[in-house]
Amino acid sequence: MRRIALLASALTLAATLVGCGSEEPSTEPPTDPTTSSTPEETPEETPEETPEPSEPAVQEIKIVFEGGEAPSVERVQVGVGERFVLVVTSDEPGELHVHSDPEHTLAYGAGTTRLPLTIGRPGVVEVERHEPAALVLQLEVR
Amino acid sequence: MDDWLTFAHGLGGPADLPIPPQLAIAGAVAALVVSFTVLALAWRTPRFAPDTGGRPAPAALQRLVDHRAFHVALRGVGIAGLAWFGLAALFGPDLLTNPAFGMFYVWWWVGLVPASVLLGPVWRAISPVRTINSLFARLSGSDPERGMYEYPTRLGYWPAALGLFAFVWLELVYPYSTELGPVRLWVAVYLAAMLLGGALFGSTFFEKADPFEVYSSLCAKLSVWARRDTRLILRSPLSNLATIRPEAGLVAVVSVLFGSTAFDSFRSSLTWINYTDGGPLSISTMNLLALVAFCVGVGVILAVGSAATGVDEGTRRRDLPAMFAHSVVPIIVGYIVAHYLNYLIEVGWDTLVLASDPLGRGSNWLGTGDLGRISWFTYHQTLLASVKVLAVVTGHVLGVIAAHDRAIAVLPKRHQVTGQLPMLLAMVSFTAGGLYLLFAA
Repeated sequence: MRRIALLASALTLAATLVGCGSEEPSTEPPTDPTTSSTPEETPEETPEETPEPSEPAVQEIKIVFEGGEAPSVERVQVGVGERFVLVVTSDEPGELHVHSDPEHTLAYGAGTTRLPLTIGRPGVVEVERHEPAALVLQLEVR
Repeated sequence: MDDWLTFAHGLGGPADLPIPPQLAIAGAVAALVVSFTVLALAWRTPRFAPDTGGRPAPAALQRLVDHRAFHVALRGVGIAGLAWFGLAALFGPDLLTNPAFGMFYVWWWVGLVPASVLLGPVWRAISPVRTINSLFARLSGSDPERGMYEYPTRLGYWPAALGLFAFVWLELVYPYSTELGPVRLWVAVYLAAMLLGGALFGSTFFEKADPFEVYSSLCAKLSVWARRDTRLILRSPLSNLATIRPEAGLVAVVSVLFGSTAFDSFRSSLTWINYTDGGPLSISTMNLLALVAFCVGVGVILAVGSAATGVDEGTRRRDLPAMFAHSVVPIIVGYIVAHYLNYLIEVGWDTLVLASDPLGRGSNWLGTGDLGRISWFTYHQTLLASVKVLAVVTGHVLGVIAAHDRAIAVLPKRHQVTGQLPMLLAMVSFTAGGLYLLFAA
């Protein structure tokens, strides 16, 4: 019985340590918009003709569909409740589904489309293209 | 809620954030340290004898659970649940707002685990297939316990393992798992198979072959509730766990349960998604292969870990994996808590809200339709991550203690310490692997 008690206390101690260790990452600010822009492959055929050069600190996430092919899936961190922009470059118009809660359906046209978005709940959110269906992006909202 | 779309996507939108790496490492180290502490310090004569220990439950409680009205009420709960599910699944809209999905994937599959760990063998008590079987037997004037044949011992838990695999295949591999047709078909096949089995072999069939009863009753061995003869007794979960009988197919059952949950974490990892994309095989074929690989992998690790020891003349080495399979049950439950806790609370609650309107007409029959949502854990991801690691480590510790006690009961004296090492490594690999998946997925 004493040994079980010993084990139990060792376990509690380990658990406390585990609990304490985990407090640290939450206290530091999770994302800062200055370092967060994570551009992937640069669109070769379409030079970015984005209309507005305003708001320098907004995070941009580029998604390029080349000849209907979806890029390989990447995971990008965005801040909870922070505005970011999905910059979609595609030959054909289409639709993105953002599986956040609540979900968003975002339409894009041929060429480059800027889709501003804000997600208010933490979690890993998948972004999928509709027709042809493909997972495009995972957003780590924290 | 109109924007809940049905599109090749599971129930419940965003996934939990991955656990921080330092937490995963701390958990793995804790598991490792505790494992060897148990090996070095714990008792040297078996403690968890199946036939002794525990104390009788209060007489009033015994009278309640033995009361006929209590049984009838529980059976009523099961039948009502099935009827409500049937109403939604047959006449409700084919949208994710249909509560049938949440009842099927969340209440039934995930909810069964905490219910059984807290309350005992819940599914056995409410199982609508048992109820229907005994009604049939009563109508035909026969005994529901007995069927036309004896249940073959050789089959053991294998049918249940197959049924559990069929469920996780539908949930994790089949691309149209969130359409009503496949869910209806699955339940119809399940009901037909169970009622046929019940007619052929009597109630023993449910004990061995109903995937949900086997799942629930295994988890219930981690509860404090047990029966000795007819007495209701309260006993420590660890000695309760030791009463799991090593039967054919038990290893397969625990392998499917643990392997599939691990695969569920793995399949959303970037590595796997990008690996399957653009390969020669379709994504669902790849997922099926990976699901099988995870289940078989768990089985092989368990088999090798438990059998790689010296044995007495009287013990067959190939019997060892089933003798040690019970010790994986706490690891499974710990990992399921970690993997599904927030999902069960959020989507389980959403399902209760949706269940008030099974036909999708805006009605509020249960009065739960205008309840709010519970998303507390979603906004406390650090606490959630700590709870997850704690659950995994607790499950691991209980598993290691259970395996230790079994080892000193069945292994010869001179192999009792060294013979445990491979099993210990197997368990550390399960736990470290589980933590890695919680971190990486």
